[in-house]
Amino acid sequence: MATAVLVYAEQNEGQLRKVSVELLTQGRLMADKMGGDLAAILVGSGVGSLAADFGQYGVDKVFVADDAGLADYTTDAYTQVVSGIVKEQDPQLVLFGNTALTKDLAPRVAQRLNAGLAMDCTGIEVGDTIVLERPIYAGKAITKVEVSGKPVMATMRPNVLGIAEVAAKSAEVVNVPVQLDAASLKQIVKEIVRKAAGKIELTEANIIVSGGRGMKGPENFGILEELASVLGAAVGATRAAVDSGWVSHDYQVGQTGKTVAPTLYIACGVSGAIQHLAGMSSSKFIVAVNKDPEANIFNFADYGIVGDLFKVVPVLTEEFKKMLA
Amino acid sequence: MEVPITEVFREHYWNVPLHLLLYAVTVIVAVVFLVMLWKRFQLWRLGGADRRIDKIGARIWTVIVQGFFHARQLRDIFPGGMHFMILWGFIGLFVLGALVDFIQILTVPFVKGIPYLSLSFIVDLLGIIGLIGVLIAAFRRYVLRPDRLDNKPEDGIILALLFVILVTGYLIEGLRLVAEPPHYTDYEIGGILASYLFAGMSQQTALAAHHILWWFHGLLAILSVLYFIPSKLFHIAAGAVNQFCRDLGPKGALKPVDLEDEDIEVFGVEKIEDFTWKNLFDTEACVRCGRCQDNCPAYLSKKPLTPKQLIQDLKTHLNERGPILLAAKAKGGSADGEAQQEAAVTSEADQAILDKALVGEVIEDEIIWACTTCRACMEQCPMFIEHIPKIVEMRRNLVLGESRFPSEAQLAFKNMENNGNPWGVGWASRADWAEEPEVPIISDVDGEVDVLFWPGCSGAFDDHGKKISLAMVKLMRAAGVNFAILGVEEKCCGDSARRLGNEYLYQMLVQENVENLKQYKFKRIVTTCPHCFNTLKHEYPQFGGDFTVVHHTEFLNELIERGSLKPQMAVGGLTCTYHDSCYLGRYNDIYEAPREIIEATGYNLVEMNRSFGKGFCCGAGGGRMWLEEDLGVRINTMRTEQALEKNVEVIATGCPFCSVMLSDGLKEKGIEEGVQVLDVAEILQQAIS
Repeated sequence: MATAVLVYAEQNEGQLRKVSVELLTQGRLMADKMGGDLAAILVGSGVGSLAADFGQYGVDKVFVADDAGLADYTTDAYTQVVSGIVKEQDPQLVLFGNTALTKDLAPRVAQRLNAGLAMDCTGIEVGDTIVLERPIYAGKAITKVEVSGKPVMATMRPNVLGIAEVAAKSAEVVNVPVQLDAASLKQIVKEIVRKAAGKIELTEANIIVSGGRGMKGPENFGILEELASVLGAAVGATRAAVDSGWVSHDYQVGQTGKTVAPTLYIACGVSGAIQHLAGMSSSKFIVAVNKDPEANIFNFADYGIVGDLFKVVPVLTEEFKKMLA
Repeated sequence: MEVPITEVFREHYWNVPLHLLLYAVTVIVAVVFLVMLWKRFQLWRLGGADRRIDKIGARIWTVIVQGFFHARQLRDIFPGGMHFMILWGFIGLFVLGALVDFIQILTVPFVKGIPYLSLSFIVDLLGIIGLIGVLIAAFRRYVLRPDRLDNKPEDGIILALLFVILVTGYLIEGLRLVAEPPHYTDYEIGGILASYLFAGMSQQTALAAHHILWWFHGLLAILSVLYFIPSKLFHIAAGAVNQFCRDLGPKGALKPVDLEDEDIEVFGVEKIEDFTWKNLFDTEACVRCGRCQDNCPAYLSKKPLTPKQLIQDLKTHLNERGPILLAAKAKGGSADGEAQQEAAVTSEADQAILDKALVGEVIEDEIIWACTTCRACMEQCPMFIEHIPKIVEMRRNLVLGESRFPSEAQLAFKNMENNGNPWGVGWASRADWAEEPEVPIISDVDGEVDVLFWPGCSGAFDDHGKKISLAMVKLMRAAGVNFAILGVEEKCCGDSARRLGNEYLYQMLVQENVENLKQYKFKRIVTTCPHCFNTLKHEYPQFGGDFTVVHHTEFLNELIERGSLKPQMAVGGLTCTYHDSCYLGRYNDIYEAPREIIEATGYNLVEMNRSFGKGFCCGAGGGRMWLEEDLGVRINTMRTEQALEKNVEVIATGCPFCSVMLSDGLKEKGIEEGVQVLDVAEILQQAIS
């Protein structure tokens, strides 16, 4: 059968990203509706072993481009490889997760194929036509867009589609020969400087535990780290905490830091200054722990705990541990 | 033989038979000078048009007050006084002395008798004052070495030139008095002092020495004119011209960009020739006095920006790039055609200069973004150099042309665009703060209101800002003011967007606000935010929004004066300092109204070391409110420390941005109790209830 849906399966250091699993399993359902195959593209160096597991996500075919030159992401090399596969497969729909990498890659591929692309979509309906949903005005309204031409390309926001239950298949692994034209590669990755390795990326985290000035000092962030590790959450901080030098700027959530929208945001010792709210107020559920019942954060929180965070947080950690055990 | 006092005068060019040669030298020097000037003139003409010759009276007045009488320079009494002495020494000897001599030989001697003796005395006295000034300058520059001065060879050369010319002048006078004592010499005080050096010298020796020294002195003075243009000496002329051509518009108004003009290829300033001629000419007037730098919060907080260096870097770049452009112009009739530029390039070095990016290479991005637009530099500059418009023009190019700006600004821009406020709070909740006190919305009001209260984004969304708005509501109700708000129709005034260089977003916000405002009838707008105040008052007229706009400190003070509000002196004994907001103080000269209100409430008002026109920025202006401050020391912390030095209980402000910055400063210092940041409206409201 012809390929109906092609998913760009993004891996990071040999780990398939969660959003890619969402897209693969959901892509299965879409391909079924369209009456075609679901194929995946896997690019990297030494990633072949990952492809074997794709069957469990309901994938029919995996195109693996495995080459030492693809070890690190470069715009030129990845664009060459991905657009080559898409062109050959000529699918109806190409899906990417909306990540830092694909924000760079997807527009390039779309340009090469002269295809339409919708970025950062939060919904997709596959019927007679493919309708994509994109939030505008900071999420105050949703636009529904249709893309003319073929293929339809979209990047989907992580965590919105969820992972679908699909029947496992045996995925056929197709090794794509990679011939990188060295002369056309303008970028070389010399070094990757990592910050806070091993931590969950704030903007991708489903749960965030964050601390403000109420943490009183850098040494106390340990209790937040503990709670976060129990919940599989990322740790964030307010500008006040960052300015005081307690944690690095990578942690900052707010106007001049990161904008996050996790399912659960636990704010500890955070007063709720507007510049912090600007970065987290679209979280689904906000829980605030603060000893000051007048704190502005309570005006925005779904659940509030008035109390000393140094007592409350360890209790929460203990209780979650029991629940999740 | 006794000469009657009415006939007394000095024989010109006494003992200098070939003095007419000096005129020949002068003519040659004048021609060379004019050629040099013409070349400089061509460089300035590379810049765009800017009309600066209206209001002649006001312009001449500026030159008199600032140029001749140093109104700004004398604010710093030591360096200002020193320069004042040198200036008047120069005027005395060069203008009154040399020039009178110079002209008189060509015509009949018109100065004689008592006027001659008076002139002679005054000239000698001014010269001595000038000489003392030069010595003080050298002492200050090379012994005291203030931070704001950087020493280049020209500084030493000029001081040495002045010193030698002045001293030899007196030595000549002294030698003349020794050789041939004339009548009524008691008035030539410099010469008399010098003549003691030559006591006992034979007449012949004195005559010979006089002759030689005269030529040395005369030639040095005339030839040093050739050093004018290559050195900072040119500031004598350029400074006066720059003062004459100062910006006489409202201080707080940036020039608009015509976004509808489809012929504009570059928004803002991308290359040095995109500046106006006045911007280029500014660089000639700068003498590196460093008053700007001394007052610049960015410099003082160890950021890479110093306004002085910025102007100097532009000057250096103009000097290297300008001639290549002029050569291109000569070849092809236009300086900006790429083909002509290529044709004009004669070496790799030229090409490198041509390829050098103004922002990024000549001036680093970080420098451009470090400015808080606080205006301290422009307020102090005796030459009326305009630093901030240059910075904003360069920001405009980065934002509108290259989309290159600190990443945090992106979010603020997006939020202003989508929700009409920098924080991105839903636009529909803009009037939520006003629900409980039931503030009337103007669209629900029939007829005209006296006051349209404009809380601005801070007053509508920020926690402290909302308290200030509520205090205003209480005060206006207490005073029986008929007021309303725009409610959800109000949008960000756009000040931050404009000063961050996003003119497009700014104009979009202005147009919406002007359209909304024009629908309603009100006598005047009262706003609690100096940023809104400044742009509504001085910049909205550029887009057809002519409204009467008043800052709440002025308005509240007016209510007190009118007797509508009677504050009680309830807080006796508490000490308060008032932090001048840049956009209220320096930009709009509102210094007294907030202070009068504070004093009317019984606070013991103390001033910080930097206040009024020299007030220190909180760090939030120029859109810096929305950017991270990761270089150097935090400006708000510095300002908070300056306030805390005065042992105050209350830091008063008239600006919601300043309130946020200073409150953060207190928190950062770990001071949660004992010191409060309060808006003037809150202070007054506490004294009313």
